[in-house]
Amino acid sequence: MSLLKLEGIAKRYRQGETTVHALADIDLAVEAGEFAALVGPSGSGKTTLLNVIGGLDAPSEGRVWLRGTEMTALPEARLSDFRLFELGFVFQAYNLVPVLSALENVELVMVLQGRPAGERRERAQHYLELVGLKEIMHRRPSALSGGQQQRVAVARALAAGPRLVLADEPTANLDSENATALLDIMHRLSHEEGTTFLFSTHDVRVMERAERIIKLRDGRIVSDERIETEHPADLA
Amino acid sequence: MTERLVHGTMLARLPLLAFVAWRNLWRNPVRSGLTISALAGGLVMVILYSALLEGMVDQMIASATERTTGHIQVQRRAFIDDRDLYATLPDDWAATLEAQVDRIHVAPRLYAAGLASSKQTSYGVMIEAVDPARERQVTSVLDHLRAGTAAIDRPSGDARPRHQVLVGAQLAKNMQLAPGSELVLVTQAADGSIGNDLYRVAGILKPLSPDFDRMGVLMSITAYRDLMYLDEGVHELAVRLDQPDELTVTQDRIRQAVDGLVADRPLDELGGPAVVRNWREINPAIADMLALSETMLLIIGLIVIGLAAMGVLNTMLMAIHERTHEFGILLAIGMKRRWLLAMVLCESFFLSLVAVAVGVTGGIGMVAWLGEDGIDFSAALPDGYDWAGMVFDPVIPLHLVAGHVADASLLLIAITLLAALIPSWRITRLKPAEVM
Repeated sequence: MSLLKLEGIAKRYRQGETTVHALADIDLAVEAGEFAALVGPSGSGKTTLLNVIGGLDAPSEGRVWLRGTEMTALPEARLSDFRLFELGFVFQAYNLVPVLSALENVELVMVLQGRPAGERRERAQHYLELVGLKEIMHRRPSALSGGQQQRVAVARALAAGPRLVLADEPTANLDSENATALLDIMHRLSHEEGTTFLFSTHDVRVMERAERIIKLRDGRIVSDERIETEHPADLA
Repeated sequence: MTERLVHGTMLARLPLLAFVAWRNLWRNPVRSGLTISALAGGLVMVILYSALLEGMVDQMIASATERTTGHIQVQRRAFIDDRDLYATLPDDWAATLEAQVDRIHVAPRLYAAGLASSKQTSYGVMIEAVDPARERQVTSVLDHLRAGTAAIDRPSGDARPRHQVLVGAQLAKNMQLAPGSELVLVTQAADGSIGNDLYRVAGILKPLSPDFDRMGVLMSITAYRDLMYLDEGVHELAVRLDQPDELTVTQDRIRQAVDGLVADRPLDELGGPAVVRNWREINPAIADMLALSETMLLIIGLIVIGLAAMGVLNTMLMAIHERTHEFGILLAIGMKRRWLLAMVLCESFFLSLVAVAVGVTGGIGMVAWLGEDGIDFSAALPDGYDWAGMVFDPVIPLHLVAGHVADASLLLIAITLLAALIPSWRITRLKPAEVM
C-alpha cells in the first residue's frame, strides 16, 4: 500500500466570471521513504497540490489517502489531528513563531501533540543537533540567519514524527551554500529516519538531489520519473 | 493515526497557549503599553469616582444621621402627617427607652411654627426645641455654629434675663441678626392664646438643611414650654445608635419597647399610634440615592471602561491582522482553531490583568494621595451644597471600598475579553491555504 495516494484530483477557482483550473486529473502514488520533488514553472500548481495533500485546501474533485485514511473525507477537527500527527510542513518563508526560541519552536508541535515535557525536550534537542543548531537553540528566530531558520523549520517538522514532510520551495529564500546544506540535511534525515519528503521546487540544486521528479504543467502531471542520485551526502 | 494519538484536553495545552500569549503581549511593547495605559487610566477614573461617590454617600448618611435626624425617630402618626401640635409622646419615654434598649441615646424634641420679628423685619419661622444635654448625645446640631455660642440652656446676661436661641444662617442674614441681637417670637400657643416673648440670639448655625437655614429658630425645651404653654409631652424622640449597622434590629427592639409602653399607658387616640422609623424611611431621597449610586457606578464604569476597551478592540484587530500569516502556519501544523482562539483570548486576558494591576495600584495611590481629607470644593461652595433637603459639607471625603475595586477590575477584564472576542472570532474562520 502506498503511503500517499491521490486519485482524480482537480482544483478549480472562480476568478470573476472565469473558472481557473489549478489542478486537473492528478493521479499519484508516493511510497514510504521517497525523496520526491514536484517541479514546474510558477503557476503550474505545485503549491496548490501540496496544500491539497496537506489538507490545507480541499480539492474540487478527487480523493487523497494517507496510510489508507481518506483525508478528503475527514471533518475539520480530525483533519487538524491528522496534520498534527502524520504530516510535517516546511514552508518557503521559514514561518517560525517569532516570540519562541528555536528550541521552543521545535517543541511547539510536540506540545500540541500532548507529548510529555521530558520526551519533547529530548527530541527537540536531538533534531536541533541533527540540523547543526544545538549550540544556538535558545536564540529567537530574529537572531538566526535565513538558513538557520529553515533548518529549525526542518527540525520542527521532523521532531513531531510525521510520516510525510511537505516542503514548499524550501530553498527559495536561501543562498547557494545554505540551500545545499539544507538539502543535504533533509536528504540525510530522509534516509536515516525513513521519513518521506515531497517538496515543490524549481531550484535545479534541489532537483539534482531528488530521487523522483514529478513535473507539473498547467495543473497536470506531465512526467514522473525516478532518478538514481549520487551526491556527497549519500556517500558520507 | 489513532494509535499514535496522544490524547489531551485544551487544559493540558493551556500553559503553552498562555506562555505564547504572554510573549506575544510584549511583541509590540509600545502598542501594548498604550493599550494598557488606556485601560488602567479608565480603571483609575472608575476607582476615583467610586471613592468619591462612596465618600458622598458616607457624607449623606452622616448628614442624615449625625446632624439632625439621628438613626431612628419615634413620633405620633398625626405629627408626621399634619405636624399636629398636640400629638405628643410622654416625657419619660426618652429615659425609659434608653433604659430598656441597649446602646442607644435618646433626645426629645418639640416643634412649632411662628413669626419672628427684629428691629428691621419679620419672618415666618420654624421653632425647634431640644434638650441640649441629651441632644449632644444624639446629634451634633449644637456644634455647627457659624458665630456666637450654643448657650440656649442658659439665660442671657440682661438685667431681665431672656431665653437664648440659635437661628439659621439665611434667616440671620435676612433679618440682619447677629449674636446678641434681640428677637421677638409670636405664635399660637397650645392653649389657643397668643404666645410671645423676647429672645436673645446666642449664635448663628451653619446651614443644616435648606428649610432650617431659611426659617429655623432653635431653643431649649424649657424656653419652648414657656412660649407654647405646652407643659408636657414631646413631638419627637431622636435616637442615636452606638452600632449603626444594627439599625434594623435596634429599630425592632425600640418598636417592641414602645409597644410595651403603650400597653402600660395607652396614648390618646387623636394623635394616632407611635411610629418608629429609621433614617432611610425618614429620608427616602437619601435611601434612593444610595441605591442609585450603585447603578450610577455601574453605568459610569461601563462607559469609561467600555471606551478604553475600544483601544483593546483596535489593538487586537491590528495584532490579528498583522499575524494572520502566522495563525495560518499554526493552523497548518495542527493547532486547532479553538486553541488558537484560546491563545488570543489569553493575550487579551493578560493585557487586562496587567491593566488591572496598574489601574488598581494607580487608583489606590490616587485615593491615598488625596487622602482622607478628600476633595475640597469650599472655594466654590463655602457653605457646602444642599440636596434632597439636606446640606452637605463642601469637602467630600474619599472612601475606597474593596468590593467596588474588585467589581471594577472584573468589569474591565470582562469588557476587555468581550472586545477581544470580535477580532479573535475571525481567526476561527481563517483558511490556512489562503493566508499563508
